[in-house]
Amino acid sequence: MLEVKNLVTSFGSVIALDGVSFTAAESKITTVIGANGAGKSTLLRTISGLETPSSGSISWLGKSLLGMRPENIVRTGIAHVPEGHSVISELSVEENIAMGSLFRRRKFKGDVLAAQTEMFELFPRLKERRNQLAGTLSGGERQMLAISRALVSRPKLLLLDEPSLGLAPLVVEQIIDTINILCRTTGLTVLLVEQNANTALGVADHGVLLALGKVVADRPASELKADATLRAAYLGY
Amino acid sequence: MDTFLAALFSGTSRGAIYALVALGLVIVWRGAGVVNFAQMGQAMFSTYIASTLISNGYSYWLGFVVAIIVGAVMGSLLDILVLRPLSNKKKTEFLSSESIRAAIPVIASLGILGALQALAGIIWAAEERGFPAPYPQEGFTIANSVMPFTSFDVFVIGIVLTTLLMTSLFFQKTGVGLAMRATALNQEVAKLSGIRTNFTRTLSWAFSGAASSLAGLLITPTSNLSPNTLDLVLIIGFTAAVVGGLDSPVGAVIGGFLVGMVISFVSFYGSPEDVFLSILAVLLLVLIIRPRGILGAKDARRV
Repeated sequence: MLEVKNLVTSFGSVIALDGVSFTAAESKITTVIGANGAGKSTLLRTISGLETPSSGSISWLGKSLLGMRPENIVRTGIAHVPEGHSVISELSVEENIAMGSLFRRRKFKGDVLAAQTEMFELFPRLKERRNQLAGTLSGGERQMLAISRALVSRPKLLLLDEPSLGLAPLVVEQIIDTINILCRTTGLTVLLVEQNANTALGVADHGVLLALGKVVADRPASELKADATLRAAYLGY
Repeated sequence: MDTFLAALFSGTSRGAIYALVALGLVIVWRGAGVVNFAQMGQAMFSTYIASTLISNGYSYWLGFVVAIIVGAVMGSLLDILVLRPLSNKKKTEFLSSESIRAAIPVIASLGILGALQALAGIIWAAEERGFPAPYPQEGFTIANSVMPFTSFDVFVIGIVLTTLLMTSLFFQKTGVGLAMRATALNQEVAKLSGIRTNFTRTLSWAFSGAASSLAGLLITPTSNLSPNTLDLVLIIGFTAAVVGGLDSPVGAVIGGFLVGMVISFVSFYGSPEDVFLSILAVLLLVLIIRPRGILGAKDARRV
């Protein structure tokens, strides 16, 4: 279980997260929704160690993550796919995937290869393009690659930041479906940040609504989806 | 025809060394975003150490290996003790301008260059001394004329090409090489992939230190050794790196050989005084025609 308590992260005088508390249950999909600038990305970046919070606590499987570097947080089983299909364009598809499992290759040599093969089964399109540079891929393929890069580290918790950004609805559906199946079949815990609230709440078990760095609602996804007042007030539709 | 061949041979051997210097600069630039002006100062220092060992009766090869190891260690220490603390975001937060923050490591590298030169002057006295070559430096004779191409040149070209080949294999085929490339290209994604970026960055400094020490060992037999002798080599190597497109290792090697050829042909057909001018002309020409260099990346650097 991931437990975030009174988390505050600021950039200079701008407070991006203003005392955020919530929990993400194991083997469930928890989604964090909210408008642009609500602090969703900052929340994920603080959990994965890219940003340093000024106060509050983050605990994962009973251990505090505060003060840990991103490269060590990955080793505790948390993989973060940041916003914007973040792959390394100048490296090949295969290299991007291999990169995600470099830190495991000494201890789990056989499994590293197995994990890479699994990614190609999960996203066959990546297999066809394994030797191409990642920069030549389409937006959807790049998102699949970014997710594969995260999954080969065999995470227990996947932090997904706006996987739908800039993608065609059909591709979004395919990616969200894959994540859903992974969660239901392998017990992966997912923390999904989305601006596209409908898509996210449709697949999630639990929803957290963020506005200006504060949690304004923390409820089962179905309830949140049904609440027209909240939607109108915070999501604008 | 003889002059042409002579210029060609000498250009190849000189170019090989500049390629090495440029490669060292490019690897640190990619890995740490710093043009390391201290690079040839480090090379000078380690060549002095080799010189001291050899003049005390140890074999050339011992001096050779020790100098390269010292070069690698010096590079790592520079990163760990000076550059890493200086690039710490928290500690430089009080500086409002991003460009000033980016200039700090460059200024530090100039300071280190000065300190190393002063230190070398204190330890080994500032006058020039010779540095031995492991193979004879007499030109081969072809059809009764002596070519300016020696066994030592063959050694230089051979060892540089081997180094370049091994470097390329290392970066393309090994996990550590992939981790170093990933760190150079996108630190954030590298970190999120579990790569210890501090370590890979230090490795690139070590590599660059070793490469430039090798360059120092290979160039001083023809130019003598003093605390300042390698300044010009740094300028030429930097030109080669820019010509190749500062962020491309392959470009650096091409740039190195190109600049070596230009220098060689100018000094054979023109006069040695024109050499420096010709380097600047090449630099200017490349910056005007193709500002990103021969193999430089298309986008400007994102800061």
